[in-house]
Amino acid sequence: MKKYLAIIQMQVINNIAYPGDFLGRSISIGIFLFIFAGLWRTTFAIAGTDVINGLTVSNMLWYLMMAETIELGRPRINRVISEQVKNGEVAYILSKPYNFLLYHFSFGLGDSLMRIVMNIIVGTGVTWILAGTPPSPLGWAMAMVTMVGAWILHFCMMALIGLTAFVVEETNSFELIYQKAVFILGGMLLPLDLFPQWLQSIARVLPFPYMMYAPARLFVKPEWGLFWQMLANQWIWVAVLAGALVLAYRSSEKVLTVNGG
Amino acid sequence: MKSIFQFDNIMTSIEVTRLFKTFQTKRKSAGLAASARALFKPKYSTVEAVRGISFRMEEGELLGFIGPNGAGKSTTIKMLTGILHPSAGEANVLGFTPWKDRQKLAFHIGTVFGQRPQLWYHLPAIDTFMLFGKIYELDEAETQKRVDFLAEAFEIRDLLETPVRKLSLGQRMRCEVAASLLHRPKLLLLDEPSIGLDVVAKQHIRDAIRRMNQEEGVGVLLTSHDAGDLEALCKRVIIVNHGQIVYEDKVSNLKRKHLTSKLVEVRYAEEVPAGFHIDGVDVLKVGRYGVKLRFDTNKTAVDSVMSHLSEVGDLVDITISDPPLEDVIAKIYKEAAPA
Repeated sequence: MKKYLAIIQMQVINNIAYPGDFLGRSISIGIFLFIFAGLWRTTFAIAGTDVINGLTVSNMLWYLMMAETIELGRPRINRVISEQVKNGEVAYILSKPYNFLLYHFSFGLGDSLMRIVMNIIVGTGVTWILAGTPPSPLGWAMAMVTMVGAWILHFCMMALIGLTAFVVEETNSFELIYQKAVFILGGMLLPLDLFPQWLQSIARVLPFPYMMYAPARLFVKPEWGLFWQMLANQWIWVAVLAGALVLAYRSSEKVLTVNGG
Repeated sequence: MKSIFQFDNIMTSIEVTRLFKTFQTKRKSAGLAASARALFKPKYSTVEAVRGISFRMEEGELLGFIGPNGAGKSTTIKMLTGILHPSAGEANVLGFTPWKDRQKLAFHIGTVFGQRPQLWYHLPAIDTFMLFGKIYELDEAETQKRVDFLAEAFEIRDLLETPVRKLSLGQRMRCEVAASLLHRPKLLLLDEPSIGLDVVAKQHIRDAIRRMNQEEGVGVLLTSHDAGDLEALCKRVIIVNHGQIVYEDKVSNLKRKHLTSKLVEVRYAEEVPAGFHIDGVDVLKVGRYGVKLRFDTNKTAVDSVMSHLSEVGDLVDITISDPPLEDVIAKIYKEAAPA
């Protein structure tokens, strides 16, 4: 266990090796929020209402802040794996006494931690100015709890995509498709509540809402019933995808060919 | 330390029996149309990287694995570390089957893969050393002691706190090899450790590796296409080409049996006569006052060449040298090349 903690720690240090770049990246969430604040205000004004399907402009912006925090902080493990397969570095990763998947889990977690913390700090600051008081402590608590599962789901998906690198080497296109699925079906651009009923029902049986919508929605409107329901569905998906990941790893391990033989 | 029961019992650290590795590689002709076709109907060609290699390596041995690019050296090393699964054949490394017990084996071997970095690029090397300490399950005091020792052996004490990206290639490679020795492996697998290094940097690395071999008895299997590594480090050599072993012997025998030709350079006090020629000798170059020649000591006696040379005129200077080991190896490749 100690070795994985050490990898997390190493990645945290690695992330702040260039303080300028680190701070620069943290600002981007502020820019997104600023743009969307204008967009939502205009949309609500044109619709001539303060509330759309139970959500106010302020709700929408706090929702977006949490969704962006997750999107910008999610692990980009597929790129790491694909890069390592292409340049042959995977040889080192595989010839060390640790579990390949746990290595990448720790690597990704260390990478995400600082980004998530910074995005929450900068995002909260900006959204507070743009949209007023933040959600209740219960909202924060429910968001934090469901964020754990959301992060793990993202990790499983990215790692599954990353493993395809063992065969196809380049995985960017798969990531793009995945990202668009999360943007729409995960409720990144619009909360699921604003979708037509049929689309909501499709989204809810897929893993995407539990990667994005669950923490963001519970953040702005914490409800116990919804919380337990979301949490249960989320962890069912964690079990399914983690299982798939382990199986995929076992089979891809055998077909692995390291570049430059 | 070996136990007293092993006084003359030589231990085997690697045993490889008829190892094969075949790759499927995608092929595509030039151009957009071919790319489109390849999308729907990819063509594959089979590459036989390793074709039935068998050899043994003893504990603490310095073994060179030499061959041109694409000979199958790296593929073999990768199978020995368990990263690649062979298509056929057996291997035993320190009592483990590498591709079955990769993680257990990892505690006992160190690996360096040429220019591919294992040190974290943006951080000082010391951070990676401490991380490896945890990964190899050493306690902190032990890691620190080991780092001190390696810092001295590889002369990297002053480099440890500099971000790796700021080190020169030579400095970085010293750190890379030192990092691979942190957990006191019994066997070090070095894949092209001197690639891209200048003469001084190569010398540094070789000295440190030799020292670790003598002091800690770590066995070294080294692949290289640099004959200098072989001469400086290895006692025994295996030469591979086209995925097969084409030569296997002690380095000293390689020199004795194959370094049979001599290069001679002569300078005369007066001009070299036109039509300069000696029987059984290749004249490589004739200048105004000097000649350069090569001959095979098995076919032409050294003293007969010398007496011929002195008959031509008054000798001012003479240099006799062995051809570079690289030429010898190139000759072995050629002889072993399939017809």
